[in-house]
Amino acid sequence: MQNKNKKKVLVIDDDEMHLYTTKELLQNDQIEVSTHKNWLGATNRVRDFQPDMVLLDVNMPGLSGDKLSEIIKPYCDACRTPIFFHSSNDEDSLRELVKIHGVRGYICKGNVVDLRNKVNRQLKLQA
Amino acid sequence: MQTMPARENVLPVGELIISNELTTPQTTVNMVAERFFSTTNLDAMAVVEGNEPIGLVTRTKLLFALFRRFGFELYGKHPIIVIADTTPLIVPENERLDVVIDKALERTPQDIYDEIIVTTPSGAYKGLLSVKQLVIQQSNALANSVLQKEVASARAQELEKINQVKSQFLANVTHELRSPVNAIIGLAELLRMSADKGSIEQIKERLSFMISSATNLRTVITNILDLSKIEAGRMEVAQQEVDAVSLVAELAETTRILIGKKPVAVEVRAPAMALMVTTDPIKLRQVLMNLVSNAAKFTEAGMIEITLSIIGSNLVIAISDTGIGIKEEDLHKLFTAFSQIEDAKTKTHEGTGLGLTISKNLVELIGGTISITSTYGKGTTFIVSLPLCQLPSPLPLSPGGRGSMGGGALSNELRGGLYSAE
Repeated sequence: MQNKNKKKVLVIDDDEMHLYTTKELLQNDQIEVSTHKNWLGATNRVRDFQPDMVLLDVNMPGLSGDKLSEIIKPYCDACRTPIFFHSSNDEDSLRELVKIHGVRGYICKGNVVDLRNKVNRQLKLQA
Repeated sequence: MQTMPARENVLPVGELIISNELTTPQTTVNMVAERFFSTTNLDAMAVVEGNEPIGLVTRTKLLFALFRRFGFELYGKHPIIVIADTTPLIVPENERLDVVIDKALERTPQDIYDEIIVTTPSGAYKGLLSVKQLVIQQSNALANSVLQKEVASARAQELEKINQVKSQFLANVTHELRSPVNAIIGLAELLRMSADKGSIEQIKERLSFMISSATNLRTVITNILDLSKIEAGRMEVAQQEVDAVSLVAELAETTRILIGKKPVAVEVRAPAMALMVTTDPIKLRQVLMNLVSNAAKFTEAGMIEITLSIIGSNLVIAISDTGIGIKEEDLHKLFTAFSQIEDAKTKTHEGTGLGLTISKNLVELIGGTISITSTYGKGTTFIVSLPLCQLPSPLPLSPGGRGSMGGGALSNELRGGLYSAE
């Protein structure tokens, strides 16, 4: 199953349904997807999995995704892994959060086409 | 004056008159002086001809003029008008306090504290004002106006806060509505992919996820509509006879389904016979469902216990769990809409955070109360209490049971009759 050429995406979200849909949608594009529920242990997960891209939910119990981005960003920056917020929040607020936290971008949940396009484009850039 | 109190708060000076002492122009100086000597709290007199004020005599100035003996001799037999101030400040009674003070302060320093004559609008003598009194009044008015400003700004801050809560609320609602919709869209896309592949198993699995997301969405919508109905006071209350015991049994059944495979026992402690109560069964069920689904959501292992009893004159349903519990400092926020709300981004749990707010409102609508005790890390107990006196007492209890209604006796009797399920 482990394919050295497959690009890896880590999805962090507290909602199992969103983890499921995102994973299944991206796997269909030959991407290796790992999901991580909630923020606990997220840093270790980034270190161990070494993703090419991180999709990070914003509204999460305990520690919000925008705060979590600050914690995992140094690790992601070290291996040049871009972080994208992936959320059901207003697009305006996501744009704002991207600016504030200096992550690479955002993807609105529910926009399947945008999800595929942005992830594939980003992973191609990483190649 | 730059800090002018609001116009409507300024008194007309007619209401501040402190005396209406007067004398006539022809009264001799020594007569007037005698009055000042004999009346110690008399500070000034108007000199009035007919009813028109034409001058003012003040104690200070008169005594100053008479200070030396020759003054008394010089003026004593003269009419007072000779040494009275014949250009006193005269204002109509409906003049505003702040205007009068401005006028008073414009006078020369030696006249500045002289009394001010007030007339009726037609110019007839009405009385005297003391500048000292006016200044005190004015500063009170200013203090009041500062106070009013503070009240107004506190109110503005409050409104601002309400506004913030409202927009936070809206942001939360938007997120809660979008989240299941987005899941449904994702699942629909996945279903199409499964259909292309012809994988029936996958289709089945994804359809069941989709149904659960859609159900979740419906709950969110129902909650929001309920809350807006409650806030608008348009929630109607029905009255119907229901058996509280079977309601609790039904509740336990649902709880077991919600728990799924988690190692949580569901126990019911309730009388062994029917307990008929008159209430709004739909609302009572909605409240209790909300409480057991919370219990099921937040309890990973242990027990959920539903107890039905009569304590004093109340029907009491308690739902206890051995779940995660709630920190004491968070308890008070529990029943406010979106109290998971300080920030939607770090909301404490999944869900809209509306359930308990709605529950509390519904329980109060049907005349009851809801309370909570919780120990963080140990578990939570919600207690719904409905007054029995509002409930006609139709319960055909055990023989003689009816007679002991409303007392501790029945409560004990019920406890004796409790059974434990599962």
